[in-house]
Amino acid sequence: MHQNVIREKEKKRRKIVELIRINNIYKSFSNHQALEDVSFSISKGVILGLLGPNGAGKTTLIRILNQIIFPDSGEILFNNKPLHRKHIEDIGYLPEERGLYKKMKVGEQAIYLARLKGLSEHEAIQRLKYWFKKFEIESWWNRKVEELSKGMQQKVQFIVTVIHQPGLLIFDEPFSGFDPINTEILKQEILTLKENGATIILSTHNMASVEEICDEIVLLNRSKKILEGKLVDIKQHFKKHLFSIEFAGTSSDFLNSLPENYKILSQQENYNSISLTVQITPPSQPNDLLNFFIPNTQILSFQEVLPSMNEIFIETVTS
Amino acid sequence: MNKTLLIISREYLTRIKKKSFIIMTILGPLLMAALIVVPLYIVHKSEKETHVLVVDDNDYFLNKFTDTKKVFFSYLSGDINDLKKKCISGEYDAVLHILGGIQSNRSNLYYHKEPSLSLRGTIEEQMNKIIFDKSLIDSFNIAPPLFATLKERSQTHIVALQIDEHGNEQKSFTEINRIIGIVAGFLIYFFIFMFASQVLRSVLEEKTNRIVEVLIASVRPIQLMLGKIIGVALVGLTQFALWIVLTIGILGAIQLSTPDFFQLEETTELVSNIDNQAQLTPADNSIALQKTNILNEINNFYSFSFSTFIIAFFFFFLMGYLLYSTLFAAVGSAVDNETDSQQFLMPVTIPLLLTIILIMPMAEDPNGALAWWFSMIPLTSPIAMLIRIPSGVPLWELLTSMGLLVLFFFFCAWIAAKIYRTGILMYGQKITYRDLFKWIKY
Repeated sequence: MHQNVIREKEKKRRKIVELIRINNIYKSFSNHQALEDVSFSISKGVILGLLGPNGAGKTTLIRILNQIIFPDSGEILFNNKPLHRKHIEDIGYLPEERGLYKKMKVGEQAIYLARLKGLSEHEAIQRLKYWFKKFEIESWWNRKVEELSKGMQQKVQFIVTVIHQPGLLIFDEPFSGFDPINTEILKQEILTLKENGATIILSTHNMASVEEICDEIVLLNRSKKILEGKLVDIKQHFKKHLFSIEFAGTSSDFLNSLPENYKILSQQENYNSISLTVQITPPSQPNDLLNFFIPNTQILSFQEVLPSMNEIFIETVTS
Repeated sequence: MNKTLLIISREYLTRIKKKSFIIMTILGPLLMAALIVVPLYIVHKSEKETHVLVVDDNDYFLNKFTDTKKVFFSYLSGDINDLKKKCISGEYDAVLHILGGIQSNRSNLYYHKEPSLSLRGTIEEQMNKIIFDKSLIDSFNIAPPLFATLKERSQTHIVALQIDEHGNEQKSFTEINRIIGIVAGFLIYFFIFMFASQVLRSVLEEKTNRIVEVLIASVRPIQLMLGKIIGVALVGLTQFALWIVLTIGILGAIQLSTPDFFQLEETTELVSNIDNQAQLTPADNSIALQKTNILNEINNFYSFSFSTFIIAFFFFFLMGYLLYSTLFAAVGSAVDNETDSQQFLMPVTIPLLLTIILIMPMAEDPNGALAWWFSMIPLTSPIAMLIRIPSGVPLWELLTSMGLLVLFFFFCAWIAAKIYRTGILMYGQKITYRDLFKWIKY
């Protein structure tokens, strides 16, 4: 009884901060099941990494959120209300397959796309000027899109995705076509958007950027959700109790007496130090390992090695 | 709705700013004006009077030629080698030397400056008649006055009378009806193809540019499709309006600079003919009569159905375009490039092509079964009905055909929208007819 009340309270508390709730979505196309019983929620103000191998159903789910296609069953709540056409103006979507009218002038086109999102012409021009200045592409305003490099076109597309300041932003492979410098700029912009209160769904195969900017993860595989949670929790969940130790000296003879529950996975001899990766078998603790090393050598560094998203991705998808 | 307007205005503005639109808008009226002006110019040019001197060694043809509006005959006898020089001095435009009189089938026509094309034909025709009449009179010994009477009686003239459902008689001029119908049919065919293809290309452009998913994240696919179709339709109507205004402008300018350019020669000539009726031979009289009727009948035709015709033309152009452009849009959404679109366009365009192929038989018999059915079937009616209208179509048939066309358009738009919304998201797949049916059912 008491527990139930707590659960209800917890539910209410969560609902307040929930921007999107996806309940039991099913979607099939003529020849295959694209989504099968997918449920999860996205809290306000987080960056959610929507991950999965090709064909897992990510794009289908994103298109359903954008009301481009509709689920066979299940429901989606946006701010606790069933997803409705009017929510379109509170969503910014950068599709994976994206482009611009090649023959149209950049500024003219940006105004058009901004107005389609419900901005007035005046408002659109003002905000575009701001963004064009920020990205240093003002001089391109009157040029045709076909004269722009791929990276510049991507910048324009990013701008028109965020121009109407939506509460929810969906980026599908936003970094494709960007050089490392522009990728960094884009990452910073996405983080700024988050700071300003936007909720962001990031779908990408670039695991490094997922680790850098995502707070939460949803992993789809073969049309089902197979993993969900905070990035830090997931890393903890998948950790292999690995630690890296670097100690001074070139003598490693004392390691022969290392107890059974510590396994050396790799050993590397440096100029005047040795680096090891050690796996600890619970219930042994890292401190126990340190206690073994301290009498024998000078420890230079000691750190837990958490699995990378790349490893987690491959492990969960192939298992 | 507001967003649909936005799409319409983009489609419209980008198109009318295009160079091709501006060029077409200028070339169209120039072409139309040329079509009107050049024939008139040729008529004016060849209209100059020709004076022919007839030199007949045997005097059989003396005073036998009748002057026409352009050709005047004079008679002299003497040495042909002296007389034929008269065309060099300009006294006469041509000198006709009849060598062997009535038995001869050979004459020479001398000229210095090239005479009008029809002169030789006119002379030959008249000579044949004179020879034939003369032979008849000579062979049967008919008195010339009796012969003239007989000849007058043997002239026949057919007046075409069309009877409407109330039994009222209308003079009609079927040749012109037929030509106007055929021209209108071809025009509609041409415009439907031209503007529907623009819709197809535009859909394909958005798909290959990959901008379409960005757009349908903001607007519904149906808004995008309709916005495009309506935008292009407005471009077409703008082009028509500009064509008409500019053509009238060009013709007006010509009228101002050369006031009597559009003066119909027949009218003035008729008046003089009627004034001089007393002097006319029976044969000429009947020609004059025929001409009066032609003019009357043209007027009859225009006053009878011209406004209906114009309204019908715009209606059938617009609905035909709408019908085909929705189908073309569906095809454009289903394929990845223009080459692939051919296989799906084929069945869609077959009705149009078939109608154009059968345009002549339908114009020959505008109320026959072929023309009737084609003017009722929505895919062919925009062309077929236009062919029939100038020959008179009962109101109920016209309204039925229009109604069927509108209903069929809504049906096609519904199907096309279903194909379109799925098709635009399909990249790099070979689409089959089975896929299309699945999308419609889905």
